[in-house]
Amino acid sequence: MRQDTEGGHPEIDDLKPLWHLAVETGRLEEALEILDRALVLARAHGDARQIDFVICDRAAVAIELGHGTAEVPRLREILVRNADIANCRVAAYNIARFHELNKDHKKALFYARIARDRSELLHRRDWLASSHNLIGNTLLAESFVDRALEEYERALEFMPLEPSPARARILDNLGYCRVLQGRYREGFSFLYQSLRILRRFQAERYQISIRLDLCFAHLETGRYRDAWRHGVAALELAEKLDEPQSEKNALYLLGETAHLSGDMERARGYFARLQQTFFPEATYLPGFLLAVDVRKLVNLHA
Amino acid sequence: MASADKVRQIQLVGKKIRQLRKEHKLTQVELSQRLGIQQSDLSRMEQGEYRVSLDTLFRILAEFQMSIGEFFEDVAKESITPRDVQLVEKFNALPDEAQREVEDFIAFKKAQGRRGEGQDPDLDD
Repeated sequence: MRQDTEGGHPEIDDLKPLWHLAVETGRLEEALEILDRALVLARAHGDARQIDFVICDRAAVAIELGHGTAEVPRLREILVRNADIANCRVAAYNIARFHELNKDHKKALFYARIARDRSELLHRRDWLASSHNLIGNTLLAESFVDRALEEYERALEFMPLEPSPARARILDNLGYCRVLQGRYREGFSFLYQSLRILRRFQAERYQISIRLDLCFAHLETGRYRDAWRHGVAALELAEKLDEPQSEKNALYLLGETAHLSGDMERARGYFARLQQTFFPEATYLPGFLLAVDVRKLVNLHA
Repeated sequence: MASADKVRQIQLVGKKIRQLRKEHKLTQVELSQRLGIQQSDLSRMEQGEYRVSLDTLFRILAEFQMSIGEFFEDVAKESITPRDVQLVEKFNALPDEAQREVEDFIAFKKAQGRRGEGQDPDLDD
């Protein structure tokens, strides 16, 4: 989400801080409603650049809410038309994000690199930060942990020092990479910094990932009570905010936590719930997960 | 657990996937298409360089469902958790008589569980 608003319609300018704040704190449905109003105003105003601007920001929110399929052709059209570098950058970034959410990481990487290149042309440090973060996400999803880590470190360099949800998300990614590398002390430091920031901003949606990562990190270090606490918090948030992918990971991690701490009944309960809710055909799953520790195979950020 | 052990576990799974793929006479391209992943990703998975999402992991399991018992056999043997180690340490610290009592109790619980599930009719004889 961007801040460049010069030459805009005054009524849209009034709405901009509202949707930015809503996005920043993860209140996406509210942001989408505001952006719908902004799009009506932009179309009435008739300025093509302004319309593209609002379409791009609206698409970003729709994609995060899982309604991105219809947005991608519009974004690609803005990118191909190449009328405005800033709109092109945001369109490329949003297309990359769409592919990331749909697990097509190679396409995501392609568009994320376009977004990074446009950000360089514009000398926008915040956009460079988010582009590097997104490149890191696509690399991490494909298990290129070291390369992802380099991208996250670059992202953090470009990120303003003051706490923000965007900075917190980079810290979360850095922390998870360090945990995967077995560098737990650094991992926990990044993860708890991230959690503190997100709590301060009351950004509940973004806390799900960090809670899952903390649950995993505590599991890896044998601190099951802490793993439990973060896993339960992640599950509650995932259910509340309707994030099924995170709900799957939370159920799996809670099952593994119960299993490792010796509570087999509870472990079986979580694994059964995971199977019945998300993999109804795979009736063998609870038994399998009780028999085999798959922590070393699972990528929570894939 | 040391990170070298973790790498070894992932490699074991990779080898298992390759072995099962060959037993099912599938090429990497064919299996990757069935799993909905890129061939290059499957190749890295077989080389033990790739962690996957739960969705992908369970798709792989479903693909080889007939062999589920053996699928992670090698890995399961390697998966000794910190809790396992603690339990063994606590057990070893007990006097001999107490160790025998624990063993009897485990045997009792095991038999009880089997009878409860009705899966081992031999125990009812």
